[in-house]
Amino acid sequence: MIRLSKYRPSRQMGLVVTFCLAALAMVYLSYALPRLLPGDFVTAMYGSSQVTLSEAQEAELRAYYTNDRGFGSYVIQLACLDWGYSYAFLSPVSHLFLAALPWTLLLVGLAHLISLGVGFFAGVEVAWRRSGILERTMVSGMTLLEGVPEISTGVLLLLIFSLHLGWFPSAGAETAYADLSIWARLAGVAYHLVLPLATLVLAYLPGNFLLTRNSMVMVIKARYMTTARAKGLPPCRIRYAHGARNALLPLVTRFGLRLAFMITGALVVERIYAYPGLGTLLFNAIQARDLPVIQGVVLISSLMVLAVILALEFVYKIIDPRIDHARAF
Amino acid sequence: MHVRFKETSLKDPLFMVGSGLAVIFVAISLLGPLLAPFDPWDMSFAPISPPSETHYLGVNDGGQDIFSELLYAVRNTVLFGFISAFAALGIGVILGASAGWFGGFVDMIVMRIADVLLAVPAIMILIFAAALFRPTPLTLALILAGFMWPTISKGIRAQTLSLRESLHIRAAVQMGGGGVYIVRRHLIPEMFPLYLIGLAAKAKTAMFMEASLGFLGLLDPSRKSLGRMINYALNFYYMDVWWNWLMPPILCLSFLIVSVTFLAISLEKVLDPRLRAALSGRTP
Repeated sequence: MIRLSKYRPSRQMGLVVTFCLAALAMVYLSYALPRLLPGDFVTAMYGSSQVTLSEAQEAELRAYYTNDRGFGSYVIQLACLDWGYSYAFLSPVSHLFLAALPWTLLLVGLAHLISLGVGFFAGVEVAWRRSGILERTMVSGMTLLEGVPEISTGVLLLLIFSLHLGWFPSAGAETAYADLSIWARLAGVAYHLVLPLATLVLAYLPGNFLLTRNSMVMVIKARYMTTARAKGLPPCRIRYAHGARNALLPLVTRFGLRLAFMITGALVVERIYAYPGLGTLLFNAIQARDLPVIQGVVLISSLMVLAVILALEFVYKIIDPRIDHARAF
Repeated sequence: MHVRFKETSLKDPLFMVGSGLAVIFVAISLLGPLLAPFDPWDMSFAPISPPSETHYLGVNDGGQDIFSELLYAVRNTVLFGFISAFAALGIGVILGASAGWFGGFVDMIVMRIADVLLAVPAIMILIFAAALFRPTPLTLALILAGFMWPTISKGIRAQTLSLRESLHIRAAVQMGGGGVYIVRRHLIPEMFPLYLIGLAAKAKTAMFMEASLGFLGLLDPSRKSLGRMINYALNFYYMDVWWNWLMPPILCLSFLIVSVTFLAISLEKVLDPRLRAALSGRTP
């Protein structure tokens, strides 16, 4: 009898295959759904005009404007960064996308890094010093903050710091039309980044903090912590090398689970501060009903999120070697 | 699963605040049309007038009464959240319990689909669908539910795996109960307390999504929505109208989401005694 189990692929390999299939399905949907819409450029252009087209002329125009060449060439076009041409911005979608992408990566990446780092250290330290007034205020404050959505924090920060105090700019990512040296330019970018970044950090931080604290509280009671203490290790080493490493795992796991839903907040925050990233591009495209841009941004950014989450699956394995056995089906 | 609701929940300030706010918002949603002094679509008032005796929150740039708009917007957001959360809960519970009970192939397929759905940003699919087809809010709520069930079904599956070994389930199997019968009559009713957490957590996500979609201008412009109101009011934020036009929808949205977040956290504490010790801030 052939032992099938010997050939069972590991969870990681299975996930890679599943994610590739999902990516393919999304590309197909992005190809097929717009074709379900009634009407096309030709009907839009000549449908209500004075010109009456004969059947042959209409077919000719349709052949000229809609070069529908099937799914295979659509995928090749995608891979060659040929994502269509924007009606509203009169520019190739790939140019618009690649111009906006660095700003979004800067904003969202930095927000995640800061909130993961601060949330993790604050969570570990607060869990270590339990039952104090500090812990109670931190936990209550973070719980409250967890409930306040990005729209509200974003608008409130805008009203307070930009409108009333006038400390920070209310829109843009750098000082426009200024001929500055490289350092002044970087300072301008940082200055414009403060408010949107603060909004996103305030949104992401509570979840990371509460999760780290709760898992660290469990970890502290574990027996290996008593052992580490009995060995006479310095407290800092017990806390981080023995304790926090185990509290890190749920944080990374939950990050993967929440990332796809956290994109929403980033879109909204970019629109509030008119930050020139993908969110603002998407917002403007929606206002102008610019379908090629919407299609491009939606598809490519979803594929990027998919790739990040798949990459995280491999990070879990590095952080915790047990996981490959524990989570296998 | 046994929950001592009276002893635990009613003493928890988070639960009290959360449920108090929730009761207020549900009342507003149910009574909204009766409480509203004007028709929110009536555009016959003086545009951008400050709050007065007749218009409690003033009038917006289109000549509509902001207070009436707000009542309808809260109603729409709450309704969207509930529909989406209930649908996600239904799918998640049935698939999670089936995956946990039947195991093997069913389990693998359901969990793989769940993994993928968790990795796809739901907002992007919603934007795409909304931009292409302009679906009704109900359709959008159901599409969103299609992306929210995986977290619920993962929790339900884990609980099913531990319930499988309990005595009464084994007794039911001994008496000849089939798989569908056990899932339907034993597993699904048994895990009821878990559903409340799932419902609160998903209602939070769905309400936030509704506000964001409205904010990004993807919902029907004539439909009142908190996100839509914030989006319009934000265009005039530099004028002196922000406190009566921009703040009310912002505060409503915040309190709404704070309410369901508090409920979700406090219910989680009740159901997981280990977590209760961790969350209450005292060493047991």
